[in-house]
Amino acid sequence: MTNFLSGYSIQKWLESCPQGYLEDTVYGHEAGEKEPEGLFDNELLREGQIRSTCNLVLGERAALAASSGLVNCAPDYKSKTFLATQTLDEARHVEIFTQRLFDLGVSPADLEDTLNEFGNPHLVKFAEVLLEKVDKGDFVAGVVGQNIVLEGMAFSVFEMLHAGAQEDNPKFAHTLSGTIADERRHVGFGENRIGALIKQYPEKKAECERMQAEMSGHMLATFASAFKEGEASNEEARRLQKEQGKESHAMYHGVDLAQADTAEMEAVLADTVLKEFKTRLGRIGLEYQSPIAA
Amino acid sequence: MAEWQDPHKLTEGEFLDQVHSFEFWFGTVEGYLHDRPYGFDAETEEIEMDDRRKDGLITTLCNYCIGETAALEASSGMIAFAPDRASKIFLSTQVADEGRHLEVLLHRLSMLGVRDPEREIEARANKSLLRFKERLLEFVDSRDWEAAVFAQNVILESLEFTVFRTHAQNADPITKQILQGIVIDERRHMGFGENDLGRRLILAPHTHDRLDRIKRELDSLVLTTFKQTLGELGLEGDEAPDLASDYLGAVARLGF
Amino acid sequence: MNDTLINQPAGEDRPRQMYVLEETGFKEVPKKFRRFYRKWGGPSDTLAPNEVLCPVCKIVIRSLQELRVGDKVYCMPCMSRLIVQEEGGRLVARVNY
Repeated sequence: MTNFLSGYSIQKWLESCPQGYLEDTVYGHEAGEKEPEGLFDNELLREGQIRSTCNLVLGERAALAASSGLVNCAPDYKSKTFLATQTLDEARHVEIFTQRLFDLGVSPADLEDTLNEFGNPHLVKFAEVLLEKVDKGDFVAGVVGQNIVLEGMAFSVFEMLHAGAQEDNPKFAHTLSGTIADERRHVGFGENRIGALIKQYPEKKAECERMQAEMSGHMLATFASAFKEGEASNEEARRLQKEQGKESHAMYHGVDLAQADTAEMEAVLADTVLKEFKTRLGRIGLEYQSPIAA
Repeated sequence: MAEWQDPHKLTEGEFLDQVHSFEFWFGTVEGYLHDRPYGFDAETEEIEMDDRRKDGLITTLCNYCIGETAALEASSGMIAFAPDRASKIFLSTQVADEGRHLEVLLHRLSMLGVRDPEREIEARANKSLLRFKERLLEFVDSRDWEAAVFAQNVILESLEFTVFRTHAQNADPITKQILQGIVIDERRHMGFGENDLGRRLILAPHTHDRLDRIKRELDSLVLTTFKQTLGELGLEGDEAPDLASDYLGAVARLGF
Repeated sequence: MNDTLINQPAGEDRPRQMYVLEETGFKEVPKKFRRFYRKWGGPSDTLAPNEVLCPVCKIVIRSLQELRVGDKVYCMPCMSRLIVQEEGGRLVARVNY
């Protein structure tokens, strides 16, 4: 355990993150990069971006609460120090996505109201299941919920958003690529550390599996309503592209995001995340459970 | 982008947003942690230490680890009930700082030949410090923001600030660099605590009496701990610095 | 620390002296703010008219202009907001919570 955990040290984190891929960035993107001008001329497009960014902020707030809560119940010093870096990563994500809301024209005074207006209630429930475990000081279930389920979902969502933004919004794409790099460490830690703990505490399996099923149900409900709410804004983006004679092909797991309808996009994201869960859970000795409908 | 910016021209709101942000922390630690793996320049050579000195240093570092673990567990726990988002983000930088301190101290212990630090720390733990940690975590568990900030960011941080600075003056070159790096972080933590509590005490003066009782309870635990620590470092009698000065200065500014 | 003076004093109601700040080797805040702070050399360290000592963290705070009573300055290393005051004939900083 000691050897693998040395890969998750703060020293390693310093070298790879602040002194590595985040060097010379400002709020996660290159200095001077801006949101595309067209966003500010079209309220439907701007609102669509605000809506999706609100859910990123809420997801990251949950991750911040969970990872900080887990430091206290971690069973060893090396896990505590890794979770300390994860806590800071999550706070950085809260900060950069909040900054994006400001860049999109949300005033700081309206931040909480905007989050309440656009935040997805299913995502809040998803977070509540996790935070209940953390509040009880349940390290094993907490890490499965946070570093496998929540982070696994975030990883795929960020990748999809990144694929969609790469061509049209380099600023947002750069912001996302830093968060994706962070998530890689988080899911890696979750899998590696919990794999050993599940062997040590097999009696925890059933509880973790139940939690995964519950969280997955809330996640699917989140995806369903998020894609539905984003439909008009997606259509508008396509209409504008067509009007301007632009052709874009943003590929994500074999689906062209620029051409697919929202049902197809939702299906590919849900399918990707659930498959990932299945694979990861299998590797750590847990059996994947079908989502419990929210 | 301009090469420099006058900080004194910021409004108070802009200043607080700036210093509590990840971006600020990021630009700050880059200045003094770059090229210093585990908190010191890798070219620094270890000096010869006799067994007594080495043993004293190990005991001291073990107790620093207890202090840093207490701060790590407390600051992470406080995020959940911090009063605003900026404080949550600041505390997350403190969590990473405390985690780094713990890591560099554990690394130093391994350099000094300690094979099982968890066991060694338990064996050499100072009872007063363990009691302090217990009380601090009780404040955190009961989500008592004022008491937790006071115990951690004022009492514990200002005493660590003094002890580490004093120890750094007499330490071997590697330990010295590690401690100097930690002291820079402690400035932020201490300043956050004093300023946050200062604002709160103005708005809610009745908090004063409650914190005064906590101060009286914890004073003796921490002062005893650090007095013993200085003994382990061989800094006793006239040589011993006035440990309480920074701490007493901070609490005097807060009206205690 | 001797920073370059931009204009010279002239009587009681003289305009404030202005300074050009150079880097001091202080690296404990982000780059763009570093020249506004320096390490304190202890009690024998003489402060320039554009400098004041932070009572919380013992770092010297520097300004682009000569400091006077009532000025507001910020100590970024410890996040304190301070007001310049006079004490025993010299300028000191008091924390403004």
